[in-house]
Amino acid sequence: MTKPDSAADPIVKVDDLHAYYGKSHVLNGVSLQVGRSEVVGLLGRNGVGKSTTLKSIMGLVHAQQGTVLFEGKPVTGMPAHKLARSGIAYVPEDRRIFRLLTVMENLRTGLDRAGMTESRRHELLDKVYELFPILAERRNQHGGTLSGGEQQMLAIARAMMLEPKIILLDEPTEGLMPRMVAQIARIIEILHREGVAILLVEQNVALTLECSRRVYFMEKGETRHHAAAADLTVDDPVIHQYLGV
Amino acid sequence: MAIPWDLIVVQTVNGIVTGMILALVASGLTLIFGIMDVVNFAHGELFMLGAYIGVLVLASTGSFLLALTTASLVVALIGAALQIVTLRPLIGRDPLTTILATFGASLVLQNYALWQFGPISRKIAEPVSGQFHLLYLEYPWYRLVIAVASAAIIGAFWLFLKFGRYGIWIRATTQDRVMAQAMGIPVPWVHTGVFAIGAAMAAASGVLFGPLVGVEPYMGLPWVLKAFIVVVVGGMGSFGGSIAAAIFVSLLESYASIWVSPSQAIIVSFVVLILTLLFRPTGLFGSASR
Ligand SMILES: Nc1ncnc2c1ncn2[C@@H]1O[C@H](COP(=O)(O)OP(=O)(O)OP(=O)(O)O)[C@@H](O)[C@H]1O
Ligand SMILES: [Mg+2]
Repeated sequence: MTKPDSAADPIVKVDDLHAYYGKSHVLNGVSLQVGRSEVVGLLGRNGVGKSTTLKSIMGLVHAQQGTVLFEGKPVTGMPAHKLARSGIAYVPEDRRIFRLLTVMENLRTGLDRAGMTESRRHELLDKVYELFPILAERRNQHGGTLSGGEQQMLAIARAMMLEPKIILLDEPTEGLMPRMVAQIARIIEILHREGVAILLVEQNVALTLECSRRVYFMEKGETRHHAAAADLTVDDPVIHQYLGV
Repeated sequence: MAIPWDLIVVQTVNGIVTGMILALVASGLTLIFGIMDVVNFAHGELFMLGAYIGVLVLASTGSFLLALTTASLVVALIGAALQIVTLRPLIGRDPLTTILATFGASLVLQNYALWQFGPISRKIAEPVSGQFHLLYLEYPWYRLVIAVASAAIIGAFWLFLKFGRYGIWIRATTQDRVMAQAMGIPVPWVHTGVFAIGAAMAAASGVLFGPLVGVEPYMGLPWVLKAFIVVVVGGMGSFGGSIAAAIFVSLLESYASIWVSPSQAIIVSFVVLILTLLFRPTGLFGSASR
């Protein structure tokens, strides 16, 4: 198998990241990179540290060792709100909608920022309302009243309000109906075509292979392998090695 | 024994007036607790400092409105400094440490006031004098002014929370601090800002209430004690709940003082507190309004 070429000009480059929860060593040498407008998958069994990897890139979990570069500049230890403002958006696996804020107010958490103009605001809102018409319908409803799928859409739409250069997307299809899963795949495709990079954590291997250009495999808190998505199939030995039970 | 209806009317008015000012004190406290899980034991001292600054500004300018706004602004700055110096470094530590920190700050501020101003009570002149007939009573206009001013401040703040850009930041941070930060909201500064707003509300109530009781270093204690009760009864951290609870508890006390002396009537508040903790520890009034 050919080694896939890594991104020439990575938007995010993670090198030998180590992180702990208390005394337990959860990340044990994570290295990966994501190119501009590249969709990259991150696969591994439950509990290997995929979510923790995303959280440490976002500055939500403190990395004891290793570096994160964003657009070539070290951002390790930078507070999450600064990273969000400079172009990294995070969609967590449990969605974390602001339940008592309306849909519109949820979107405003990302919209109300320095340098935002009235026209840009409308463009961004129009765009997500076009992609997710249901959100437009429910714009004055509390986030907590939305269904699981609608909350996932809101979580992605909310991230888009930041006009990110990269989105860290954690298990977006978890618990969704097949129709919704297909829609998530379509959204990933649209974002990719708009030039947004995505680091995608998923349990759905078929969807990951379909959406990504490259895939990393994690085991025991470490990135052990990476391959071009085009070189892999769902029942590939490599998939079995890293994801089989 | 029948209770004369006019007595009930008067006690209702009294209860609402004290309830409004208590709501102003308690909403700052509940806001701070809701967003950063900090029980601010220095809240009563911010109330007291506000009253003293009111005394000083009133003495030099003669304007009550100026005294009210200056006291609020200065105490907001003191609150912000207090938060940055004592609470921000404790983020992520045992919540007990923040109790010790704010309790320490309250002792420092109390003793500072004692040293600076002495133990003798100072007077703030009522900006509105005169009385009106309330049934058998000559009721001071100023008491109504307090109630209306408190309601106006609370109402303005509510609008800000509901519609303002920073109001949304505050509500988002209260609900999910980590996600708020991931959305680019500068959470450490939101905390500082909320502490400053809470401090300003305490100071404003100190100035408003000053004319009724006189200003002295320990004037904050009974208020903050009642405000704590209100925060618990209202459902820890619920803004609307603590306002409802403030009025509820004050009305009860006010009716109780038909039979017993006002200082004994405080017992009613404690009874409400204990019953709440026993039977509805999440508070009596809507938990979803947070
Ligand atoms: N807040 C926490 N405190 C302590 N341990 C944690 C915490 N969060 C996660 N862990 C542990 O760290 C390890 C990695 O967790 P992480 O959530 O990163 O895994 P994951 O690969 O995303 O798993 P999943 O597929 O189940 O989402 C797991 O063993 C988990 O139990
Ligand atoms: Mg996970």
